[in-house]
Amino acid sequence: MRSLLPWVGEELGMRASQKKDFSSPKRLQNKTHLENTPQEPPEAGAKFSIGGGKRFAFGFSQLMKPLKLSMMGVRGVIGQGLTPELVVDFAQAFGTYVEGGTVLVSRDTRPSGDMMRSAVLSGLIATGCRVVDLGVCPTPSLQLAVADRPDAVGGIAISAGHNAVEWNALKFVASDGKLLNSYQGEELLDVYHLGQFRGARWNELKAVEYDDSAVERHIQRILSILDVERIRAAGFRVAVDCCNGACSISTPRLLQELGCEVITINDDPNELFPHDPEPNPGNMSQLRALVKASRADVGFCHDADGERLALVTEDFRALSEEYTLAIIADQVLSRTPGTVVCNVSTSLALEKIAARYNSNVIRTRVGQAYVVEGMIASGAVLGGEGSGGVIFPKLHYAHDSMAAIGHILGFMAETRKPLSALAEAVPSYFMIKEKIYCPPEQVYSVLQRIRESVEENPHGAEVDPTEGIRLLWEDAAVHVRASITEPLIRIISEAQTQERAEELAGLMIAMVQTCL
Amino acid sequence: MKGVQTLKISISGVRGVVGDSLTPTLLVKFAQSFGTYTNGGTVVVGSDTRTSREMVKHAVLAGLLATGCQVVDLGICPVPTVQLAVERLHASGGIAITASHNPAEWNALKFIRPDGIFLSTYQAEELLDIYHQGEFRLADGISMRRVRVEKGALEAHMNAVMACLDVDTIRRRRFRVVADCCNGAGSVVTSEFLKRLGCEVITINDTPNGIFPHPPEPVQENLTQLCEAVVAHGAEVGFAQDADADRLAIVSDKGEAIGEEYTVSLATELVLGKEQREGLPARPVVVNLSTTALIDDIAAKYGCPVIRTPVGEVNVADTMKREGGAIGGEGNGGVIWPEVHYGRDSLVAMGTVLQLLAERECSVSELVASLPKYHMQKLKVPCTSEQAQRMLSAIKARFASHRIDTRDGVKVSFEDGSWFHVRASRTEPLVRLVVEAKTEKRVNELIESVQEYLGAEEFAKPTFAG
Repeated sequence: MRSLLPWVGEELGMRASQKKDFSSPKRLQNKTHLENTPQEPPEAGAKFSIGGGKRFAFGFSQLMKPLKLSMMGVRGVIGQGLTPELVVDFAQAFGTYVEGGTVLVSRDTRPSGDMMRSAVLSGLIATGCRVVDLGVCPTPSLQLAVADRPDAVGGIAISAGHNAVEWNALKFVASDGKLLNSYQGEELLDVYHLGQFRGARWNELKAVEYDDSAVERHIQRILSILDVERIRAAGFRVAVDCCNGACSISTPRLLQELGCEVITINDDPNELFPHDPEPNPGNMSQLRALVKASRADVGFCHDADGERLALVTEDFRALSEEYTLAIIADQVLSRTPGTVVCNVSTSLALEKIAARYNSNVIRTRVGQAYVVEGMIASGAVLGGEGSGGVIFPKLHYAHDSMAAIGHILGFMAETRKPLSALAEAVPSYFMIKEKIYCPPEQVYSVLQRIRESVEENPHGAEVDPTEGIRLLWEDAAVHVRASITEPLIRIISEAQTQERAEELAGLMIAMVQTCL
Repeated sequence: MKGVQTLKISISGVRGVVGDSLTPTLLVKFAQSFGTYTNGGTVVVGSDTRTSREMVKHAVLAGLLATGCQVVDLGICPVPTVQLAVERLHASGGIAITASHNPAEWNALKFIRPDGIFLSTYQAEELLDIYHQGEFRLADGISMRRVRVEKGALEAHMNAVMACLDVDTIRRRRFRVVADCCNGAGSVVTSEFLKRLGCEVITINDTPNGIFPHPPEPVQENLTQLCEAVVAHGAEVGFAQDADADRLAIVSDKGEAIGEEYTVSLATELVLGKEQREGLPARPVVVNLSTTALIDDIAAKYGCPVIRTPVGEVNVADTMKREGGAIGGEGNGGVIWPEVHYGRDSLVAMGTVLQLLAERECSVSELVASLPKYHMQKLKVPCTSEQAQRMLSAIKARFASHRIDTRDGVKVSFEDGSWFHVRASRTEPLVRLVVEAKTEKRVNELIESVQEYLGAEEFAKPTFAG
């Protein structure tokens, strides 16, 4: 860590001189300011300690391509599983599924975005769709635009979200702006597998339309549900790491509207990701240094397409991504008690928070589509996932990191409390996340063997079969499941002490190893 | 339509009907094959105006980008603009998206090599091998490039042509010109180009929407509208381009279509005269076997040899390059002037014709009247490739005692200067027959003498010789 800060300082100095001025009325003044900062940053994630998952980081096997087709869309590594033929065929399948209507398309900032976009456009046009290209824009902006546009029958977001730059993906949006639900996703897969696509004739082909206003409309909609005056009055100083992703332009714009003094890093959408675009403390050292150097009130860390968010406190602690939903739930439920929907992997802290406000938590399978289904069925006041995605039903049913930023600032302004105090109110848990690479043809038999094993011996826990296997004790849990986006098995354990969390993770790792 | 009949994958590229056989999946694979063939180099892409251009273009872009190519997108532009840009940008190749003279429901990919000429037969075979093998170059998610949009290609094309013309002489004449762009790729440049040559320009069908007002082949029967417009506007000349603006047909000041064979003939007249004036040694004229004998007369006047090649732009261009040809092209309206580049180019054709008119201080009709008169018929016989093979062998045997050229089908030449050329089409299932003689009577005699071997009681209506 010692060598990191001076490097960060150089990086910031360079960026500051290159900066366009729309986002930041005040820039970092000089490098000395940064050099004066202590060399040792404080411990990351004081309460949530996240395991690195390195123990089982085997490479991909020779026989297996990093590609995943599911009702969640198609996701893979460019040049390995994710080829233009596959993307063109999926786009044709979607165009056929929506019967050649108007489809909106967006992409994040990955270098492969142009290739993916062209493949998607070609496939959609061929099926007779009218394509509206929104260009580089956050996925929730696309979702809102689809919902708002009367003739839109769907959308395709080209983004692998939090995955590294080598990856890309298609996320399919239904006419109401929600990601395809599990039934719709299955139907689309059926069309794809059938391989018989609409072929529009030459005089039925429609010209591509371009619309760059989706982001601005999204920002205005977020502002419309916030107490803008109060936030403006607070005059926050905010540090943002956009990861050179789809929010690079939009988040500084939003913060400017909210009267914040904005200090940004990694806000050039034409550059590569400076670090993995997964908002977690492991990727937030640069932001933490920035918060410290600029004495910001808060730091926000984006993923590549504006779905997930992680936070840095004013005392420059990088909070685990689990805090994003937890802090927002604490604030939302204190004002409007009701149901919160999250996935089975999200922290147990949510139940404790809900109990404070006479509210309840419903847990669904992992994935935005499942959480949204659960929210609609239960009339939830809030939804989200422990990975940093928060859904505000008042705005729309989509993970929306810009909306989350607005709400966090709103709560800080309203409570007049610093972020560290809001985080302090979240019950303390230790969480360990592990991943074990596993050939895709074995994943489900491994999980089945574990299921059989815990049915014989549940280790004194309640067995929750919502997704994978989750063992739930009084104040601890361990969850094992197949990744929905990558060929690996994920293990998440949680307890009130580090020792207990490690013990439970170890228990499950041993089970997986026995069954592998 | 049946898919099997609407797709043609051959050494001329890939050609098919949109919504039927020409699917984005197929196009992506072909683009990947080409990207692999260029080893992930810089590839220039341009298209004509067909309604399917965006579907085809994006499939091509996706395929090229996936192989790691740096893609330069020129948007809508003539095929020769793409060819020139490949050279100018020192690219590894180019893809022109156009089905040239085919109807609007067709589209195709034409592949261009670094020197701006289309792939030769053996190079196209190599590309097809890569396509059939299906193993493509794959770029990873970090090194993959973004598309570069290039706006200056049309400007560069106009400048390249004008640099080879005597622009002042042309401008002084202040031509009144009617241009019919067939709503094709010429729509985006022709009017501006002619204005720069000092012309007063009246354009018809210059909306680049790919809705062709008449078949996009610059032959007599498609030029009625242009002929009328030339008369109505009292213009000195009318120009008609095909959909991808590589070929040109000319309408005279009298409102008559003079025949597309005259385009390359007039260009040849200009260039050979110019080279003689400049005291350059006599260089060969290169044209295909089906091109009018008028070329031989013009070349003889300037003491230049004529080299005949099999039909196809690449065959003419490669021969020109090898033999140091001064000028040439094809009788279907395609002019190649190596001074500018080795591609059929309607801007070159317009420029040379206008310069000839300006230099000679005469009208199109006077110019045509000053040249020897030939009669030509272009006919086609639908048949399978097996039937075509049989017909050609029979004709070869029958006319073995005459002067005969068998490099591309059979061309038979007679003592009186008349000739006929029969060959199988590369793009469609048919045999093409071109007959030329000094008199119409002799043309009909020749047709009769070949007819029995073609097994057709009645020929299909005269059409193009593409």
